[in-house]
Amino acid sequence: MASSPCPAGAGASPAVSITGADLRFGATCHFEGLDLVVEAGRTTCLLGPSGVGKSSLLRALAGLAPAGLSGRIAADDGRPLAGRVALMDRRDCLVPWASVLDNVMLGARLRGDAAEPERAAALLGRLGLHEALALRPAALSGGMRQRVALARTLYEARPVILMDEPFSALDAVTRYRLQGETAREIAGRTVLLVTHDPGEALRLGDRVLVLAGRPARLTEVAVPAGPLPRDPGAADVAAAESRLLAALAAEAA
Amino acid sequence: MKKTIALALAGLLAAAPALAADKLTVLLDWAVNPDHAALVAAESQGYFKAQGLDVELIAPSDPNDPPKLVAAGKADVAITYQPQLLLLVDQGLPLRRIATLVDTPLNSVAVLADGPVKTLADLKGRRIGYSVAGFEDALLGAMLAEAGLKTSDVELVNVNFSLAPALASGQVDAVIGAYRNFEIPEMALLGKPARIFAVEDHGVPAYDELIAVVAADKAADPRLPRFVAALEQGATYVLNHPEDAWAGFVKAYPDLNDDLDRQAYTLTVPRLAASPAALDPGRYTRLAAFLKQAGLIKTAGKPSDYALMP
Amino acid sequence: MKQIAAGIATLALLVLFWQVVVWLAAPPPFILPGPAAVARALMDQGGLLLRHGWLTLVEIVAGMAVGSLMGIGAGIGLGATRHLRHLLLPLVVASQAIPVFAVAPLLVLWLGFGLASKIAMASLIIFFPVTVAMADGITRLDPVLADQARVMTGGSARPGRRLRLIRHLYGPAALPALASGLRIAAAVAPIGAVVGEWVGAAGGLGWLMLQANARARIDLMFAALIVLAVMAVALYRLVDAGLRRAAPWAAPQSPIS
Repeated sequence: MASSPCPAGAGASPAVSITGADLRFGATCHFEGLDLVVEAGRTTCLLGPSGVGKSSLLRALAGLAPAGLSGRIAADDGRPLAGRVALMDRRDCLVPWASVLDNVMLGARLRGDAAEPERAAALLGRLGLHEALALRPAALSGGMRQRVALARTLYEARPVILMDEPFSALDAVTRYRLQGETAREIAGRTVLLVTHDPGEALRLGDRVLVLAGRPARLTEVAVPAGPLPRDPGAADVAAAESRLLAALAAEAA
Repeated sequence: MKKTIALALAGLLAAAPALAADKLTVLLDWAVNPDHAALVAAESQGYFKAQGLDVELIAPSDPNDPPKLVAAGKADVAITYQPQLLLLVDQGLPLRRIATLVDTPLNSVAVLADGPVKTLADLKGRRIGYSVAGFEDALLGAMLAEAGLKTSDVELVNVNFSLAPALASGQVDAVIGAYRNFEIPEMALLGKPARIFAVEDHGVPAYDELIAVVAADKAADPRLPRFVAALEQGATYVLNHPEDAWAGFVKAYPDLNDDLDRQAYTLTVPRLAASPAALDPGRYTRLAAFLKQAGLIKTAGKPSDYALMP
Repeated sequence: MKQIAAGIATLALLVLFWQVVVWLAAPPPFILPGPAAVARALMDQGGLLLRHGWLTLVEIVAGMAVGSLMGIGAGIGLGATRHLRHLLLPLVVASQAIPVFAVAPLLVLWLGFGLASKIAMASLIIFFPVTVAMADGITRLDPVLADQARVMTGGSARPGRRLRLIRHLYGPAALPALASGLRIAAAVAPIGAVVGEWVGAAGGLGWLMLQANARARIDLMFAALIVLAVMAVALYRLVDAGLRRAAPWAAPQSPIS
């Protein structure tokens, strides 16, 4: 199935980076002098143990200025990132009072832009939610709600997508299916996907970075070339997974 | 030694009656004010004590409570108004009058002296404020009838206890329930002198404004004659020595030592019942007939229904 | 249906308890009349009770409307900016601290003996609960949603952003908390109206209770009290039902099911 085209108005997806990042809480220094580059038009997966600071890096790129984190944020085309980023969190956070369709169009309403219900409906249809348009979130399962959150993210039509463990709250089967659908939809955009699941990183990442250690350091793990999503059963993927796990273990030591 | 002991014993015996004084609770109709001059004099001059009575004067939080509490046996004596007594007896409260404190009406319709109301007929279409609900509309009805008006020709508003402020600020054109010995000097002190229409001048039979009542089954209570006797001494003292009585009044209630109470006291003295125990049965008969005609009571009883006959 | 039956059963039990007390203690009718006497008063004076009940109802409903609007506005103000909060908070707290009975005569003096002073009283008495509920609700937006809103509207310069945020996000999110405040208001507004009538009025159930009490018509006073209680309960149920309709996703759930 054709991937969703990157909207021309936002420009081609730029590469984004945070350089010289420090994360300190009181006397503890989680990391310092970190440089993270999210390559243009490709999906970068950031892997690491809980609490290492992956979410802080992602939120900094989203413009949310998390506590304790400092660093320089830039896009490679020199323009500010505000308004060019879409955020997807592990909690769907749909508004309970609006229908699925209205939830998808929330961003437009908040910005005062014209709502485009047909585009929203088409997005939802591609994700298999064409029968749920008028339902309220309370009537949906967790997997369906996260799909709606994905549709909302895509509706924003932003060149940069930041995803913070978007599937971690779902069961394995739903997670697997949603990973596949997501990979299809985000192709061509600049994506940073934070995850703690090595399998997920390998399925979805053009590039996989590991953030681990005390203080934390970023290391890249080589991944096989080829189209996404990768097949987890393939031999080179399995080999990459053991390399990934070794890297995680080594940093933890 | 023996003489000392004997003297001490004699002293104790002499003090014994005072130690054994009977308690008596008196619920006033309102906060202490010059209308209670005779009571306060009886207390401050020691007349109650001489009668072996330990009298407690209590001001109520709700003026409607005292007669009910006395009827229910929770207090001994209540101060109330003669029309109110007739109303309550008609409702089945077992109350009987034992003494009178003020034996003229004090109630009046008050208007601003320089206001548009010169006669009662001028009240047509105007707004009249009143306070304690009960029989105001009967009084007003009679007064308006004398002027050729009906109660439907005026607008009645319950201003609660803000009679003077309501009249002074012009929120109402007239008030009923203004006591000619209190609200009138109050208006003058507010800089808004008032003129009154006395109720008994305009169609209402004369009645006792302030009386003391007890529960009907207390006819044989030995404290009551002593209470009334002391009350009479108090009234006599006020009538004969008004200046000294005022001094005793403010000594007992220092927070009432102001211009308004002083003026009110002077206006009240001539209206105190010189013979508190005296009873005019005709007053009860006439007032009962008046209230029955006004539709406020169902049956007009005999004087013995309302008072302990001497 | 079961709810109504349960309600009637409770009522019947109360009336029975009342009658038993009257039988056992045999209080005089001017202290505590029995249910039969009060029922008679309800029937005989039905017209009078309805007339005055209507007046009081108007005061309560208008007071609720005015007080709720003011409370919603103040609540938004309290939650919106720090400066407004410092300005408004002392006023709001003072409005609650001042006893209603102290303010009532002043209101009657300023606004007269008609409906205005009673509406003002009722508004005043519900202002604090509604304001606090609204301020609470509007500041408790899920932080993840708040982040989402920031990212979505970042870089967008169209004016009126704050208002759109309130209308589409903070406002609806505050509805459950506001609903709690409005439920309290529905229960408390009648008190304001009646106290206002006690202090200066020409009609209404509070005025009627005063009149009846002064004439030792305690049965009529109880009858007026019952009418007032019925009105208050009906108002509460109405407000509750309306809130459930307006915000079905925020309907109170039983914690134990």
